[in-house]
Parts: sequence; C-alpha cells; structure tokens
Amino acid sequence: MSNAQIEIQLIASLVAIACAIPGTFLVLRKMAMISDAISHSILPGIVVGFFITQDLNSPLLILLAALTGVITVVLVERIQKTGLVKEDTAIGLVFPALFSIGVIMIAKNANDVHLDVDAVLLGELAFAPFDRLFISGTDVGPKSLWIIGSILVITVGLLIAFFKELKVSTFDAGLAASLGFSPALIHYGLMTVSSVTTVGAFDAVGAILVVALMIAPAASAYLLTTDLKKMLGLAIVFGVLSAISGYWFAHWLDASIAGSITTMLGVLFLIMYLFAPSKGLIAVIYREKQQRIEVSLLTFLLHLRNHDDERERHVNHLNEHINWQKVRSKTVLDLALKNNMIDINNKIVSLTSKGDEFTSQAIDYIITNEDAQIEDMKDDFFLFRG
Amino acid sequence: MKKHILIFSIISVFFGCKNDKKDNGKLNIVTTTTMITDLVKNIGGDYINVQGLMGSGVDPHLYKASEGDVSKLVNADIIFYNGLHLEGKLVEVFEKMEKSNKTPIALAEEIDKSTLIGSDYFASNYDPHVWFDIDYFISFGREVSRVLQENDPENAQIYEENWQNYYKLLLSLKADIILKIEELPKEKRILVTAHDAFNYFGKAYDFEVVGLQGLSTATEAGVQDVQKLAAFIIEKNVKAIFVESSVPKRTIEALQAAVKSKGHEVTIGGTLYSDALGNAGSEEGTYIGMFKYNVNTIVNALK
Repeated sequence: MSNAQIEIQLIASLVAIACAIPGTFLVLRKMAMISDAISHSILPGIVVGFFITQDLNSPLLILLAALTGVITVVLVERIQKTGLVKEDTAIGLVFPALFSIGVIMIAKNANDVHLDVDAVLLGELAFAPFDRLFISGTDVGPKSLWIIGSILVITVGLLIAFFKELKVSTFDAGLAASLGFSPALIHYGLMTVSSVTTVGAFDAVGAILVVALMIAPAASAYLLTTDLKKMLGLAIVFGVLSAISGYWFAHWLDASIAGSITTMLGVLFLIMYLFAPSKGLIAVIYREKQQRIEVSLLTFLLHLRNHDDERERHVNHLNEHINWQKVRSKTVLDLALKNNMIDINNKIVSLTSKGDEFTSQAIDYIITNEDAQIEDMKDDFFLFRG
Repeated sequence: MKKHILIFSIISVFFGCKNDKKDNGKLNIVTTTTMITDLVKNIGGDYINVQGLMGSGVDPHLYKASEGDVSKLVNADIIFYNGLHLEGKLVEVFEKMEKSNKTPIALAEEIDKSTLIGSDYFASNYDPHVWFDIDYFISFGREVSRVLQENDPENAQIYEENWQNYYKLLLSLKADIILKIEELPKEKRILVTAHDAFNYFGKAYDFEVVGLQGLSTATEAGVQDVQKLAAFIIEKNVKAIFVESSVPKRTIEALQAAVKSKGHEVTIGGTLYSDALGNAGSEEGTYIGMFKYNVNTIVNALK
C-alpha cells in the first residue's frame, strides 16, 4: 500500500466518522433530508466566500457556508410553521432556490472562477493526497486531512460536552425545555455542525458522498439498536467500514472512489435491512409467520375446549369446523402434540390438563389484556413472545 | 476503531510522503490525453514508462479519476498535460503538485499566447484544442524532448534522435494533408461539428469551422443554436456534417433533423476524432493516423 492509498482511506474514514455523528441525530430526529438540503444550499455561501477571499481553501468559506446551512434550516422551519405546507415540501422549496442562486452567481462569473457545480457536488477523493499542506516549507500531509481532522475534533468535543442535552432534546423536547436548556439552541447547534461538516468535506469527497455518509450508516445502525450510544458507535463503524471497503472495491474495479464508497453504503444498508435480527425484513417475515401459527394454535385449542362433541373433535373434520385457510392443520396439530397440549385417541382429539390450563390462561389474558396473566406462560410456552 | 485511526493518522503524517523516484532506472511519465501519450511514447520509446490517464474516447473535459490513477500519479516523475484548462479539475491538481517533487509540464502553456484563439468559455480565455495545428503539436514534441533530455541525460542522445525522426514524420504528415485538402475547393471548406474542437484546424488549413456546442463539451446546445446552424448549413449548401468520437451523436442528429425539416438534405460525413484518439493498436490510435483519418473523412464527405 502506498502512502497516497493510506491517506485516501484515512481521509475517507475521518469523513465517515465526522458525518456519522451528526447523521445519527439527524436520522433520530427524522431530519435526514435536511442534510441533502444543506449540501446543496451551501453553494451560495461558498460562492460569496470565494468572491470575498478569492481562495477556495479559506476558513471564511466554511463559515459562510455553515451560515447558509443554518439559514436553510431557519427558512424551512418558517415555511413549515405557516401550516400551509409540510416539512418535506418546505425543504423542497428552500434548497433548490438557494442552490440556484449559487449556480447563477457562478454562471455570471464563470470566466474567472475555478469553481463549478461539478466541483461542489462531486469532489475527487483520488486527488486529495496531492493537495498538501506545507508549514514553513515542510510537508505535513494532505490539506483535506487537516480540515476534516479539525472538524472531527470539534464535533467529538461538542458531542462529549453536550451529550446529555442532545439526547434529551432529541427524544423529548418538552422535557429538555423544562430541564432548563433550550431545545432550539441544541437544534441549531446540531445544524451548524452538520453544515460545517458538509462544507469541510465537500472539496475532498463531494457533497453526495457526505449525504450518503451522514444517513446510510446511521440508518443501518438504527436497524440494529435503539440505544443511542450503541447507535453512534455502530454508525461510526459502518461508516469507516464502507469507506475502507469502498476504497478497495474501487481499487479492484479501477473505478471512482466516491462512487464505490456510496455503493458500499448502499450494500451495507441492504444487508442490514434484510438480516437485522429484530427489525430486518427476514426477521419480520419469520415473526409474522410464527404469530400466524400461534394464533391458529390458540383458535384450535379454544375450539377443543368449547366442544365436547366427538364429531367436532375428529381429526378429519377439523378443517371443516375451524375455518383454517392460511395455516395447514397438520402444522398446528404437530405443534400442539409436541407441547403436550392434546391427546389423540382413535383420531379423536382432546385437550390434556396442560392444554386446558394454557387455554384458560390465554382466555384470561384476552379478556383482561393484563400482562401479569401470562407471566408464567411465557417460559413454558412459545406463545406471546415480545 | 477511532483510536486506531488516530494512531494511523499520526504515523502517516510524520512518516508519509516519501516516494521512490525511478524504478528500474526508467523515468515514470504520466500523460493526460491520448494525443500527448502517443507523442511521449514516440520520443521516449522503451527508455521511459508512459502511463496515460485518459483512454481512447474519453472526453478530457469530463474526465473522472479512477482509483488506479492515484498510483499512476504517485509514481510519476514527470507529468505532461495539455493545460489551458482542457483537463478541468486535474489542472488544479497538477499545479498543486509543483510544490512536491514532481514536474508537471503544461505543453500548451508554452505556446506564444498571442497566436492562440481566444474563448469566452475557458477560465484561461484560450481555446485549448491546439493539437489540431500540426505546428503546435511540433512545439509540444520539442518541449517533451527537451524535458526528457534534461531529466535523463544518460539517454539524451536517444531522445533527440527519436524526436528528429518523429519530427520528420510530422512534417511529411503536414505536407500530405495540405495536398489532400487541396482537392477541396475553397468555398466547400466548411466544417460543422458537435463542439468547437476544430478552430485551430480551421485556422491552419483554411476551413470555416462551426461548432454546435461551444468549446466545452459540458454545456448543452440550445434549440436556437440548432436552428441558426441549420439555416447556415442551407445557406452555404454544406454537404456533410460530422460526429465526434468523444461527444454523443444525439446533438448532431438533431441538427440533421432540423436541416431536413426545412426541406434540405445533409449527410453525416463520419466520425471525427476530436479530444481523444481511436483505440490503441488501430491506425487511428496514433496522432498521425488520427489526423490522416480526420482529413480523409472531411475531404471525402465534402467533395
């Protein structure tokens, strides 16, 4: 591995971490689309900053862009508060307007500005190692590594300092206000951090990758856990994992690095979406199937309890008397037998004492709907899980 | 995880940035466009390693880096590129490299600016498609040969010989194509293409050149442009218009349709190589072959 390769993976990983932290909160606050809006609407801020300083690397650019990011959020909320449009509509109204102002400003001055829409939306990670920072003549590493590193340090510092406030205001804004810290302040603080991260990263990796790195790892982590700290940690791990595997994917294909990282983020989310232990698609399908069988079993047991008539309890007639369409009666019979809830004598099904007890407890539960009624059953039987 | 990365970053910051110059004694050269790659290969021969960033059919205005380009650039001793903002964002990267131990050379920047064609579209205000004037390409070659000799004095003699041989080939190419163009009467020398890549060709060999899209392939042609150009084609009774290898056919086909709708007929004269050469190994994969092919295509279609 050459130095440039290490540096690219390092920059990508730092960007991933710097994005995952605000991204987690954005996802939890159901504001994921705001990061997309910010990534576009910072353009006029960057352009104005460039006109003032004539330097694409000036810190003023980051400051002004972050300011436009906050303006975006304020505008979105103002429009939303009128009650005339919903939040997503408000986002859709604000950021194209701001973005196009930026585009027009560039177009009017295209002759002397080394700045185009492409450069803003699609940075080039491959070139990041060649733009180096020199301090009194000594090469101290790629410039974007320092920029992203500084942003990351600030983000982590703020996260540690305001973790409690962030947590409370994210989940219960009312409680946060009554505890004496302003949810609005935390809200705008988070938006500022998101804006600064987006701007700091756009030159190195491009705004599209920034949006992907903010949302995809956090969304994937949210499928695995509901614990905030674990979610933050997982989002960071997922981000870094995608950054590094994406890099090697690009190496293998000899393709665009940012594109490959974004692809990896998508693949990662897909895997989590399918295979996450409790929220994943496969787990949900499995659970629904289980529940259907459980309900059928209960229906079956209740039927047995209510009917003493042998005709009603003959194995061959079960299908007619209980209207089973979805679940095969054999599955239910086997399940009941396995759990010692029924006896079959001469093809006549009858409840065992265990089955009888189980059924009456279940009836109690259905009538009262109190969890205490089924506490003992949970261990004995497979029913009523979760 | 975070800690590892932190340690990683500190290590890379303190120990980074030492590249091996010259493996197996050969200079590592990176080039951008296929024209420059061909030129450098002709002069350096087997005595240098040449790696081109852009393949055939790649539009330099819209070139996107791939992962493999990183190691090419890392190992490069000398980088030859066109400049005048032909390569877009890459030019900025090369300019920044001047601070490290690499030698980026913008070949077109060496040309006397007063002889260049101005443009509204490029930041430098010059049309970068200079290789379509063979004299400019000869000055490219002279510069490449000089830089190679300076950086690898051991083989200087060989580079000089190679260059002199190639120079003769370029001179005879020039004579050939002038002869070929003579077949075409002056009033028929009107070249209509998708984007303005052929201005230097027109200036040097007496063609009127009209492009549909302007200099940069990034901009799209408007409806008005198409209508105006269609009227022009009918007025001047142009027989054929041309597609370019690195620009989608669509725009030129739209132009053809516009001419047709006004009751005239114009054929598509063929595909011209503009910003990139043909496939490596084919006749059109070399500068000389490409030039001959373009001129033959143009002259035969307009005759």
